[in-house]
Amino acid sequence: MAIANTFVPARNTRAILIKWIVGLLVPVAVFTFVWSGEAIINNALLGVFGLGGVSDIAILVQIALFLVIFYATVIALAGYLVAADSGLRGMIEVWVDILVFVLVPLFLVISLGLIIGLALCAIIWPVYFFARRRIYKAINYTPPTPLLNLKVLSDEQRVELKNRAISGSFWFSVALAVVWLVVDLIFYVSGSLPTSLLIWVVIRTLLLPVAGYFLGRLAGVIALRRTIAAKSNGNDGNVSDGAGKRVRQRQLEKLSTTRVREEAKDLVPNDLPLRSTGAQRFFLILLVAFVLFYPVIDPFLFGFGTAGRLAGYGDAGYYVILALGLNIVVGFAGLLDLGYVAFFAIGAYTWGIFGSTQLTNVLNLAPINPHLLSALFWPMVIVAALVAALFGVLLGAPTLRLRGDYLAIVTLGFGEIVPIVFLELDQYTNGTNGIVGVHSPSFFGIDWSVITPVPYYYLILALIAFSIFVNVRLRDSRLGRAWIAIREDEIAAASSGVNLVTTKLFAFGTGAFFSGIAGAYHTAKLGGVSPDSFSFGDSVIFLAMVVIGGIGSIPGVIVGALAVYSINQFLLAQLDSLAADPSNPLFAVRNAIAHVFTGFTFGNIRNLIFGVILVVIMIYRPEGLIPSARRRRELHEVEEEGVEVGALGVVPGAPGFESEVRVE
Amino acid sequence: MTLFLQELVIGVTTGAIYALIALGYTMVYGIIELINFAHGDIFMIGTFVCVSIFAAFGITTSSTAPTGFALVGVLLITLLGAIAVCAVLGVVIERVAYRPLRNAPRLAPLISAIGVSLILEDVGKLWKGITFVSFPQIVPQIFYHIGPIVITSINILVLIVALVLMVGLQWLVTRTRTGRAMRAVAQDREAAALMGVNVNRIIAITFFIGAGLAGAAGLIYGLQFGSTIFYLGFTLGLFAFTAAVLGGIGNLVGAMLGGVLIGVIEALSTLIPDSNNGGIGLPHGGAAWHEAIIFVVLILILVFRPSGLLGQQTPEKV
Amino acid sequence: MGVELANEAMLKLNKVSKHFGGLAAVQDLDLVVMPKEIISVIGPNGAGKTTVFNLITGIYRPSSGDIFLAGKSLSGLSPDKVLRRGIARTFQNIRLFNNMTVLENVLVGQHAQLKAGIIGSTFRPPGVVREEAEARQRAIELLSFFGSELVDRQEEYVINLSYAYRRRVEIARALAANPKLLLLDEPTAGMNEAETLDAVKYIQRLRDELHLTILLIEHKLAVTMGMSDRIYVLDYGRKIAEGLPEEVRRDEKVIAAYLGTPTKRGQKQESVE
Repeated sequence: MAIANTFVPARNTRAILIKWIVGLLVPVAVFTFVWSGEAIINNALLGVFGLGGVSDIAILVQIALFLVIFYATVIALAGYLVAADSGLRGMIEVWVDILVFVLVPLFLVISLGLIIGLALCAIIWPVYFFARRRIYKAINYTPPTPLLNLKVLSDEQRVELKNRAISGSFWFSVALAVVWLVVDLIFYVSGSLPTSLLIWVVIRTLLLPVAGYFLGRLAGVIALRRTIAAKSNGNDGNVSDGAGKRVRQRQLEKLSTTRVREEAKDLVPNDLPLRSTGAQRFFLILLVAFVLFYPVIDPFLFGFGTAGRLAGYGDAGYYVILALGLNIVVGFAGLLDLGYVAFFAIGAYTWGIFGSTQLTNVLNLAPINPHLLSALFWPMVIVAALVAALFGVLLGAPTLRLRGDYLAIVTLGFGEIVPIVFLELDQYTNGTNGIVGVHSPSFFGIDWSVITPVPYYYLILALIAFSIFVNVRLRDSRLGRAWIAIREDEIAAASSGVNLVTTKLFAFGTGAFFSGIAGAYHTAKLGGVSPDSFSFGDSVIFLAMVVIGGIGSIPGVIVGALAVYSINQFLLAQLDSLAADPSNPLFAVRNAIAHVFTGFTFGNIRNLIFGVILVVIMIYRPEGLIPSARRRRELHEVEEEGVEVGALGVVPGAPGFESEVRVE
Repeated sequence: MTLFLQELVIGVTTGAIYALIALGYTMVYGIIELINFAHGDIFMIGTFVCVSIFAAFGITTSSTAPTGFALVGVLLITLLGAIAVCAVLGVVIERVAYRPLRNAPRLAPLISAIGVSLILEDVGKLWKGITFVSFPQIVPQIFYHIGPIVITSINILVLIVALVLMVGLQWLVTRTRTGRAMRAVAQDREAAALMGVNVNRIIAITFFIGAGLAGAAGLIYGLQFGSTIFYLGFTLGLFAFTAAVLGGIGNLVGAMLGGVLIGVIEALSTLIPDSNNGGIGLPHGGAAWHEAIIFVVLILILVFRPSGLLGQQTPEKV
Repeated sequence: MGVELANEAMLKLNKVSKHFGGLAAVQDLDLVVMPKEIISVIGPNGAGKTTVFNLITGIYRPSSGDIFLAGKSLSGLSPDKVLRRGIARTFQNIRLFNNMTVLENVLVGQHAQLKAGIIGSTFRPPGVVREEAEARQRAIELLSFFGSELVDRQEEYVINLSYAYRRRVEIARALAANPKLLLLDEPTAGMNEAETLDAVKYIQRLRDELHLTILLIEHKLAVTMGMSDRIYVLDYGRKIAEGLPEEVRRDEKVIAAYLGTPTKRGQKQESVE
């Protein structure tokens, strides 16, 4: 019977089922039972029934949404993974991977806090990679090269795929329901579970498997969409399915190995399903849900101090926007801008002057109604960004004919000059004292200054979303291609019709635009602006974000921004405060070092750490933490296919090419 | 007028120091086309080395200064010490942070250089703290009056040391085998290698010499200005780089000339009146803007005459 | 592709000279290319041939003289403007965008044909979406001029292709700009005999099927003789001969330039100035 086929897995899929059910269940269980998933739910429910816990309706709704999204996504993911897995990698390998990359971070973050936990992960993971490679070499084990077995599925295989997805989700949710039931019974017996919630336990236990079935069908559809046959429809619209499949397969067979690997990440069946693009979509949903609903679940996750943390994330957010903006200039167009802080300052001062009494003082006008000023923040953000963009074009203009290093120095010069201008023109900018009393934005009449940092958090999320959107769209557009072409080979680009002047100016302008947004936001959040926020050191930090994260890679620079921000603002300060406590081992460490170097604090060596990171990354991983596909290829040329290059053996576009070609 | 001439004297002496540092920039750029961001910080380390050597001799203020032959001896030892330490530092940096990136895209060694600069600045911070470090003025101040202007003995010492070193460098580059090899590698690395030149060694020697000069500059800077601080290298480094570009990057005489010019421009900019007092000038006077002025000079050169004063206009070949 | 008046020269160089400091790379060059011709420029190394291309496409500015495309002067135009007027080129040492795919390279070639600006690129109104789809379609058509191989490998990074295929992609990129005149700088360099024959065939097809006018630099004399309508010979920046292939082949000056004049007993003689 069809239904039987769906629910009772075939023998060869049983191993896969166990692999993923166990693999996913453990982290989900950790989240639910250890890290307060259960606490969130129970408190919400108590609130719903008016029995204590959370009572605010808005918060309840958000919590409900988050939970539904979270569990639904995980259940669907289970189905997808079971369906998409080709079965090549063994159970143990996958479980160890999940242990290292999911469970270890979870525990570290729970016990040590988000920043330090992630920082430790940044150290542990490379060590793990290194150790694993050594071990493999020692026992002469080469892991199977994945992603080379491309299959076109027959119709029965497609049905089987669908069934696997359903059984994956179904049995996962059954397992989850059972485990949960058992744990709740233990809680109940030991008295920690209120009786009133027993109804919920029953409902949940029945509901989960049902949800599992339907989510499994959804996962099946998603998985089927990623098979080779399906994906052929993109390129040859009118071709019938059979021929389309053959075309696609033939195309894939003709591509080089590395290129096939990149494409194969997308496909089902997949040898590395956790890293496949399909799975990544699920992870993205989880991440977005987490970030979006963070303010309401933070109290459960981390206890007290939500407001402080949110304020911190609001600050970290503008670093992300800066990184995305700089990514356009440095990453896409290849123009090394070392003075990016100048545009940040311009954006900041624009809103600073306008949004406070500074403007009216200077122009000797009557003061503007503060409420009106607050409401004008929204158009002024755009104005500030446009002003910054204008200066981006103005300051970029002199650099158009310069080569890489000289361009860097000139931009550095501008990055120095602009803050000096702001400092010395104190008639307009209030000099060293900076501008204070900038009005906070208002939203439909509600002044933000009297509320928690939550609005700023959402504002920055919206701005970040916008920045990502623009970045992605530009990257895959005519303009983005022109930027990459300029970066690769200016002369060939010009000879292909790309106007070097306008294209480069657009890069500077667009990059500066985002910097202006970040500047205006920064001033609004801080309530003021002063010249010491802007120095070359900041430009270096912005560059470090892009470089460490991955030049040209959008997820890369976001991660880079968060990493750099954490190190800059949090990590070292936290290490210092930990070291102030005599009972902490860091106390002794710091004192020992301070014996040799007087005045040592962790905060003092910030530049040292950044410097070392930059050098190490440039030598060992210049493509950054999360490289874009292009860059990884560009910087680690490990091509198997012999590339026949022309007479001189120097690849055009590589450094030094121009000087090699003789005048003919 | 007196003021003008006086500033001129100051400018030339400061310029001589800039020239010594600029030589390091121009030599390194000439040979591997890298702007050694960390060079200014090597100079800063040089100043710290001098302070430490003085301290080792028990000299911490001008009152504990030795006299006569002892003074000369101390100065020589400090000079050699600073040169030695900085030269070695330069070679180490090249080996660790730049050589692995010789064939990488242009951005990579530049970013690495920025990283090294950051490291050195914090090393300075850890070594001597975050406040100004006083540099013992051990050379007695004797004032010489030439007409209306005053030249001190320290000015003269600075000029002498700088001149001797520059002449020595010029001799080395034009009349020795090593110097010839350096020029060859700067012109065409592969051809030089084919002619039997050990390119790696020559590059190391270039860094050695350039950094050594920066170390010497550290001593005379400290004697002239009396204090140093961990971020000194950054600004002075940029000024010296501007000097190198002004003179024509890759050209040694150009670097010397550029250094003096930048020193003079800087000194003369302090003469610009304060517009806040009414009349033309700049708000807070030229002195507050001198950094900006020098950067504007840099930008103007790079835009209008990138080959500098003494450099050759090489059109890009396609 | 090209629409020309029957009697008007497609390309005309009028006493063009280029000096680099003291070196005269090109001196007083007169050159005419009529529509739908295949003209070759040949000459020993260092004769100034690539410089001529660079002058035509705006990478260098002539020290004196003028260059006309279909009667209109090209003086002072930057390379991208020259392209928009209708001249596309390939390079001696294949300058493709290495870290882009085959398709992307050809799409860049269409940069001047497309109109999407920064707003259009960001917000993708239907006009831009359609424009991009048509551009992709056109790129595939251009690639199919060379057969199905490149179409199949359109998602491949160009650095993974063999030399002969890279050359084709570079030509496709040039064709993408819808040019009237195509400049090919040593299109068969580095190719073996079979590949060279292939190249000759598709170059002729470029003229026959796509109605292009072609000016090419070529070292392999056999190729030039067989393919060209007329030949110009340069040496030390000057034109030393021009005409039909048979005439040029027998020209004494040409032979001397390539081989040197026979030496008298014991004396070495430099080639003719």
